[in-house]
Amino acid sequence: MTKRQVRARMRRMREQFEEAEDEHGEINLVPYMDIVTNIIIFLLASVVNQVPLGTVNVSSPTFGAGGGGDSQQEKPALNLTVTVGNTGFTLAGSGGVMPPIPKLPTGDYDFPALTTKLTEIKKAFSDETKATFNADAITPYEIVVKTLDAMRTYKDEKDQGEKELFPDIVFAAGIL
Amino acid sequence: MASDGTKQSAAIAARLAGKKAIRSYARKLADPEDIKDLNITPMMDMMTIILVFLLKSFTSSATLVNLDNNLSLPPSQTRLAPKQAVPVTITKRVVLVEGEAVAPINSGRIDPQLKRDGDNGYYITPLVEMLSKVARREKKIAEMTGQKFDGELTIIADKNTPYRLLTEILYSCGQAEYANFRLLVLKNRD
Repeated sequence: MTKRQVRARMRRMREQFEEAEDEHGEINLVPYMDIVTNIIIFLLASVVNQVPLGTVNVSSPTFGAGGGGDSQQEKPALNLTVTVGNTGFTLAGSGGVMPPIPKLPTGDYDFPALTTKLTEIKKAFSDETKATFNADAITPYEIVVKTLDAMRTYKDEKDQGEKELFPDIVFAAGIL
Repeated sequence: MASDGTKQSAAIAARLAGKKAIRSYARKLADPEDIKDLNITPMMDMMTIILVFLLKSFTSSATLVNLDNNLSLPPSQTRLAPKQAVPVTITKRVVLVEGEAVAPINSGRIDPQLKRDGDNGYYITPLVEMLSKVARREKKIAEMTGQKFDGELTIIADKNTPYRLLTEILYSCGQAEYANFRLLVLKNRD
């Protein structure tokens, strides 16, 4: 086999190999990968910056037509109202007004005392879930949300579980 | 005679050397030592799955809020997750409906000229007008999709918003047939 023959054979082999490679060749995925990597980095950065958000449900009072006379004796409505004043909380119901819960010596509102008082009321009116919320005009929204938290749930000392107090809260102050 | 034998053996040796060279070349072609192209298909599969997962988690968060100096949410113990609803944002400077400025706020108060009943009024005219438009659209969508218009709003308010301003806005929302509110808060991590 001469050198020329060897070279010719090698060339044929190379051509055959390249043809076979072209037939089974893959699509160039590198540009696609670049795009995907960039999007992933962007999305990861956005997800990391997200803050955990939640919601507190409230509603405004609605008027309804008065119900017809019922033969069954109904339980008197509680009509619980919690008012956030400048000096503390005031609780009122159909029976009258309870002694106010004053602010702490530090000037903060006494939310645990409010929850304790509402827990006592809940024990007496276990079926009641509604409460009306009212506050002074200058009360900041942060205090409003904290009061709503104190009104909605409490931690049961026996089983350490979270139990409902008055989750259906209605905002007062002339909202229709 | 001897020279003929030498020539023959030289030819055989040359042919063998040629065949050897071809065989080694064929081996080299079939099994290259250097990796020309890395197979990135599995990596692409993995990345596509991550991309789909991230896009889904990104879009599933119902409310996207831009928190800055004018808007900081209050913390809460609530466990309820945000739900898709029309957002009404109350920052320190402006009231927005679906990201569109409706009424400016100066020192925690709405300009009395924008209220129907003046300074002591609750009815914020531009807010009611805007929300009425949104309510009409929402009702049409609800009608077309066979759902019920639930009149729900997401209230995104700054933590220092005074209660009076909040009630004015909630009252105006009520006038546009929105009576259920979801107050957006920061979940306490405990």
